[in-house]
Amino acid sequence: MEIKTMVRAAVPLALGAVVLAGCSSSSSGGTGNGGGKKTFAIAYQGPLSGDNAQLGINMDNAVKLAVKQANDKGDLPFTLKFVDADDQGTPDGGPPAAQKLIGESDVIAVIGPAFSGATKASEPLFSQAHLLSVSPSATNPNLTSLGFSTFFRVVPPDDAQGKEAANYLAKVVKAKKVYSVDDKSEYGVGLSGVLEPQLKTDGVTVIHDGIPPTKDYSAEAQKVKGANPDAVYYSGYYADFALFTKALKAAGYKGPLMGGDGDKDTQYVVQAGAANAEGTLFSCPCSDATVDPKAKDFAAAYKAEYNADPGTYSPESYDATNAVISVLKGLGANPTRQQVADAFKTVDFQGLTKEIKFAPNGEVAGTTIFIYQVKAGKIVVVGTTADLIK
Amino acid sequence: MCLTHNFWQLTISGLSDGFLYALIALGYTLVYGVLQLINFAHSEVFMAGGFGGLFAIQAVVGDKTPHGITSVMFVLLGVVVGAIVGGAVAFVLERVAYRPLRRRHAPKLAFLISAIGASLFLVNIAGKEFGRQAIPMPDLYTNGTVFSIFGADVQTNYVVVAIAAAVMLVFLDRLVAKTRLGQGIRAVAQDADTASLMGVNIDRVISQTFVIGGLLGGAAGFLFGLVFNVQNNMGFIPGVKAFTAAVLGGIGNIRGAVLGGLLLGVVENLGVSCVESAWRDVIAFGILVLVLLFRPTGLLGERLGRSA
Repeated sequence: MEIKTMVRAAVPLALGAVVLAGCSSSSSGGTGNGGGKKTFAIAYQGPLSGDNAQLGINMDNAVKLAVKQANDKGDLPFTLKFVDADDQGTPDGGPPAAQKLIGESDVIAVIGPAFSGATKASEPLFSQAHLLSVSPSATNPNLTSLGFSTFFRVVPPDDAQGKEAANYLAKVVKAKKVYSVDDKSEYGVGLSGVLEPQLKTDGVTVIHDGIPPTKDYSAEAQKVKGANPDAVYYSGYYADFALFTKALKAAGYKGPLMGGDGDKDTQYVVQAGAANAEGTLFSCPCSDATVDPKAKDFAAAYKAEYNADPGTYSPESYDATNAVISVLKGLGANPTRQQVADAFKTVDFQGLTKEIKFAPNGEVAGTTIFIYQVKAGKIVVVGTTADLIK
Repeated sequence: MCLTHNFWQLTISGLSDGFLYALIALGYTLVYGVLQLINFAHSEVFMAGGFGGLFAIQAVVGDKTPHGITSVMFVLLGVVVGAIVGGAVAFVLERVAYRPLRRRHAPKLAFLISAIGASLFLVNIAGKEFGRQAIPMPDLYTNGTVFSIFGADVQTNYVVVAIAAAVMLVFLDRLVAKTRLGQGIRAVAQDADTASLMGVNIDRVISQTFVIGGLLGGAAGFLFGLVFNVQNNMGFIPGVKAFTAAVLGGIGNIRGAVLGGLLLGVVENLGVSCVESAWRDVIAFGILVLVLLFRPTGLLGERLGRSA
């Protein structure tokens, strides 16, 4: 009897344990007080651990770099420091991470959260605390219509990406039948929810499947192969897309594969294996700092600091941070959270990736979508959809 | 309709998954047999085997994908190293996390907490040491279709997993049924107190049981890594599934664990052909609940001592 009770208790306990296992946080303090000036912190929130940590680390590094450069310039009326909070990119990781940042009184603005699900869960807290949050990468279309008063993002929503990706598949890849898979996350469902209607509008047959992240995609790959589509689009994150790609290739699927911005990371190529990843396409509202001439200095500084090339959304994070710093400068030596959030509404800052100014709902102006492709084991930019789709 | 479409293909990939579940499930079942304890850290023994195999393979495989007899040797090497690392971790685990509690006659719940603690510790130490990113195993062979049966393609991966697992499963079955060590395990499973009166060294048998479970789990970790990838938290889902398989077949029952593993793998795979993939686990666990409603001790019943 005792044993049976134990077994019954064991599964939920083990599940709880794993959730706990995920909880780890890191923060790195900035420099101390300089010359009696007040110290404020610019925070980053995003995944620093977990399966998709690399996307978060790309951003974390860029924010840290922007803060460091601003301090080094020495023209700030205060000292900036950098803190970060790990939300693991999950909705349930969001609120604790946000709460941690809100609780630190010197945090004056947040760059992030990175992922859409975590953003949706965190923003009510930021709004309540009047704390500005500028996401470099949360692209779920709904986020700006949920009434979050201090939320902005420097990337266009998936409305734009999904539509452009659909048009690209229909008009450039010339697919007649597309197998659209999402990972059932806030982000994935949002993206496939825009992609699929647009594909249908373009006269493409759509088969939909939702696959919550798993390791074993072999059954799904067989399903895809059985449906014999002209192209597969995956709305989700790179770690899962890599395994899905592997399974698809093993099942003998040879057609084009395409993913969204969450899939575009060099780790995708590593984890799927270069041979499997070759030729995979990505749509992304992100510019590539390693090839963009405007971003040359940034890319060099990033490389010098972290001994790695800037990754997906590094330049956007850098821009977001610098836009926030430009606003802070205008507010004098002692800005409040509310002042920063209010002033950011009217920011007009020329960043590396775009001119950063916002519609009243927090949506950035301009919607350039890039197409990338894995060529010879590297993710290279093919062009903007505006140029590619004629 | 949906079941017949792709039926054999899904059955085959399901069997491949099922063999892995079975290998892991044996670790749960063996330990449960002798200790009536669910060793929740077993999923981390599995993970350790994955890393052990990965590092061994990384050390010997160059940039080129090997083929022919070299591939076989590399797979063997990976299985052996994975098994040894798994066995070693399981041995240490028993010494550190369970034996001290047993000495003090701690209540069952303390063992459970200790198991969860050890599991968390291992997941995170691996994350700290080896990173939290998934690491792919270098290719040991070119994965392609080996042969077709009933219109289904059988891939190299499936063949490798099935052969490796089947050999180990038969070996274990013989070991428990025929050898002195197996006798000891069965004796302790049946009645530990009486076994010790009969001169069985209980501590040693328990330790050996952990090591055997660890060997199988570690080898499964390597095979899993070979087909998918290696990651610090890779053990959790397969661990839960394997535990389910063990319960499904009848926990404490070796052949039950194998049957449960294969069944779970096949059911999961066939399930997704009918509905959206999101339902995969719902179907698998729904069937588990149904089976347990009608056969609370699992398909083949509980005891290790009697049925093996």
